[in-house]
Amino acid sequence: MPIRQKVFFLTIAVALLLVILELVRRRRLRVEYSWLWMASGATIILLILRYDLLIWLTDLVGAAIPTSTLFFLCVLYLALLSLNYSVRLSALARQVKELAQEVALLRAEREEKG
Amino acid sequence: MTSVLVVIPARNEAANLPDVLRELRAARPKDDVLVVDDGSTDATRGVARGLGCRLIGLPFHLGYGAAVQAGVKLGLRRGYGVVVTFDGDGQHDPRDVTPLVEAVEGGADLALGSRHLAAGAYRGGPLRRMGRAIFSALARTLTGLPLTDPTSGLKALGPEGQRLFALARFPDRFPDADALVLASRARLRVEERPARMRPSRNRHSMHGGARGFAYAFNMLFSLLVAVLGREADLRG
Repeated sequence: MPIRQKVFFLTIAVALLLVILELVRRRRLRVEYSWLWMASGATIILLILRYDLLIWLTDLVGAAIPTSTLFFLCVLYLALLSLNYSVRLSALARQVKELAQEVALLRAEREEKG
Repeated sequence: MTSVLVVIPARNEAANLPDVLRELRAARPKDDVLVVDDGSTDATRGVARGLGCRLIGLPFHLGYGAAVQAGVKLGLRRGYGVVVTFDGDGQHDPRDVTPLVEAVEGGADLALGSRHLAAGAYRGGPLRRMGRAIFSALARTLTGLPLTDPTSGLKALGPEGQRLFALARFPDRFPDADALVLASRARLRVEERPARMRPSRNRHSMHGGARGFAYAFNMLFSLLVAVLGREADLRG
């Protein structure tokens, strides 16, 4: 990997890690979500420093060039991430529904008493 | 006499509620009536209050199933022997409530009003009839019960039926055939009685137009989930 590319991607990866840290520090991002983003940043750095790992992976999955392996991994990662969000959203939707019902029931109870 | 709570889920039904309530009170004067306002943007809440029925107002629109569920939860907590679900758009005939309540008093956990057992009832357009025929066949196969109208919104629930409807994992979009599959898996006694359905008075029907296909797809999927769902989710 040319040194110019290395520096460019390293800068981006480090910036990403710093943004995540700052978000957690300001409590804009919950700690339990941050590990996933930290791991993503770390993976990018690892693949930049150890380009041979990417080549090994390319051979393993049988891809023609390292670029396609990288794109495949990115797409897979994003797909899994949205699946994860769907699961969380479903849980949140159920919780919101139950809270809304509970609010309505408690309000009715209070009105009947008062 | 069993205490009966009639739950009317209502979304923008201010125009229909007075007639529905008048008919219902004429047919079932002793029942308590509860209107569940599902985030209406019209005067539904005020109209319901003015008519002197119990009212719970959801803080925002949750959907038909969740509104019904909220009403059932109230019935369950207050210990009603029977909770009847009754549409607010004038589609159900209050005279059909009594046979359903009697079915529950006779030991059923869940009694359904079926338009196919009633003579001369409104059955909807050809597409809707076809959809219902398919879901009936599916529901019969999956539950082993001789059901004819699984999409009916007119239901009477005994305490066990109420507990099923109040479950966290209960299908809360449109509890239809999937609810019946759950009921049969929970070994509830399900029975049908004739019910004369009338054309809904409002134009924005729940399953109309292109939404019908989305509905059919969702229902098929929900049925699959009901069949494959975990046994543990059937208990509270």
